[in-house]
Amino acid sequence: MYLTNGLVMGVINAISAIGVSLIVGIMRVVNFAHGELYIFAGYFSYQLSTVLGLPPMLSMVLAVIIVFLAGLVVERTLIRPTYGDEMYSLIITFMLSIILQNAALLIFGPYPTKPPALVSGATNLLGLFHYGNQRLLSFFLALAVLGLVMYLIRSTWFGKSMRAVSQDRGMAAMVGVDHLRVNMISFGLGSALAATAGVIIAPIFPVTPTGSAAVSLTAFVVVVLGGMGSLKGCVVGGLILGIIENLGAAYISTDYRQVFGFLILIGVLVMRPWGLFGQRT
Amino acid sequence: MRLVGLALIIGGAVLPPFVLNQYWLHVAIISLFYVMMASSWNLIAGYTGQVSFAHAAFAGVGAYASGMLALYAGVHPAVGVMAGTLLAGILGAALGGLCIRMGGIYLSLTTLGFSEILRIIITNEEQWTRGTMGLQVPGLFTHYSKTSYYFLFLGVALALLLLMRWILNSDMGLAFRAVLNDELAAATSGIHTVRVRLLAFTVSSAMAGMAGALYGHYLMLITPDIPSLGQMFLVLAMAVIGGMGSFAGPIVGAFVLEVLSEYIRIYGEYHVLLFGLVALVIARFAPEGIAGVASRSGWKR
Repeated sequence: MYLTNGLVMGVINAISAIGVSLIVGIMRVVNFAHGELYIFAGYFSYQLSTVLGLPPMLSMVLAVIIVFLAGLVVERTLIRPTYGDEMYSLIITFMLSIILQNAALLIFGPYPTKPPALVSGATNLLGLFHYGNQRLLSFFLALAVLGLVMYLIRSTWFGKSMRAVSQDRGMAAMVGVDHLRVNMISFGLGSALAATAGVIIAPIFPVTPTGSAAVSLTAFVVVVLGGMGSLKGCVVGGLILGIIENLGAAYISTDYRQVFGFLILIGVLVMRPWGLFGQRT
Repeated sequence: MRLVGLALIIGGAVLPPFVLNQYWLHVAIISLFYVMMASSWNLIAGYTGQVSFAHAAFAGVGAYASGMLALYAGVHPAVGVMAGTLLAGILGAALGGLCIRMGGIYLSLTTLGFSEILRIIITNEEQWTRGTMGLQVPGLFTHYSKTSYYFLFLGVALALLLLMRWILNSDMGLAFRAVLNDELAAATSGIHTVRVRLLAFTVSSAMAGMAGALYGHYLMLITPDIPSLGQMFLVLAMAVIGGMGSFAGPIVGAFVLEVLSEYIRIYGEYHVLLFGLVALVIARFAPEGIAGVASRSGWKR
């Protein structure tokens, strides 16, 4: 049961972490507002479905699209002028995260919010235990998104230009890749992945404005554990963290759930700072 | 001319307890705390280009260490402040040692994690820290007087500023700037870049620990707000708005933002949002801050 919870969280972690990893890999920018985007998407999907009365599935998709567009705007107006100055991009995304967090508190209030579930009931898994249908659905949705992202990055022309830019920006520009556009879309895509993770998880674990730091941190730990810029690392790291956090929360302490992630981060920095699948430089 | 300026500064610094009422004297003391915080953060961010998100956390380490020593072990607060400073420095060295060699992004991620974990530990270990209720600790003086605290904070802030000035003017300061401008060139000219960065980070963390410990004994109530990311943001905004990488910038920023926040307190929750937007606009359009803009338009630094 805890293992299954861990698997579900693990796939969500992987999606969220790929969002961070894409942006780091391509732009050398860490998006500290990652957790806020995740939380905002959860709220949007709640607002769209309960206040406007749209079908839950449509609200989820719309919420992701809104955050994707917001990501494009943020990249164009705030991040682009900082290229080449890593320090300023860190400062600006951190400020953005504080602004968004406070805005969320003012707009949505401090209470946990939960969009309606898509399905109800529970299924008996392999005759072992009953497991909520919503959780199962979230798991498969997340898997599908993961597959889609992998396909997008590995096999499409856009994915190829993205990887080209991340390997050698100058060379990519020379063979005709518009690297500014790639940056902008990558930032939007990274934001959209944060949003996707947010809307998939929100019906199970409600979102709160104060929960955003934990979301960002989880994604960062996964990225460091898997190796910066490695997609495989995000998936494996996401699963490992999901399982360890859930087992740790179940058998050791729920209050210290986040601490396990931090301990993993420290462990990775001590033993293998380039991560599981990262490149040693 | 220089003497007149010096006399004005000294006069301005000594005067407040005699002309300000208790409330504004309190604001002046808090401003001095922020001067220590923003200036020491500027030492790493502005001069070596590393963004630490654990500065408020180290202030919290200093405050809780000193407060708990006084409360549970009966240690005199003055000794406690030293212990808090030392502990913040040691933790800073350990944390920096782990991730500085991996580059700036790693330091930012790890310090953010550290500050979140510290918050979780403090809120959960209630039997020791009293969690969000806050820990009541003894003051530094037997007779409580805002005037004594003002002079104490003024003295320590000046001492820290002089120490920073001395470091920046020494060979080490030269190494700081070399590391900031061109890491590779610095390394080729024989500067051990990791060691330089680690030293700056450790010194700056210890200073935050000292500022936090003093702040705790002044308020006599230590809450998890001291090591919070909200506090971290305020310090960062002060340095950015005042002007990073300039010596006067964070000092100006600390006073301006602290005094301003007293005026806009009535807007309650909006004030963090407002500071955030102002800081964001400044970081985007005038990254050299107030100090930079002032010196560009012909003011003397």
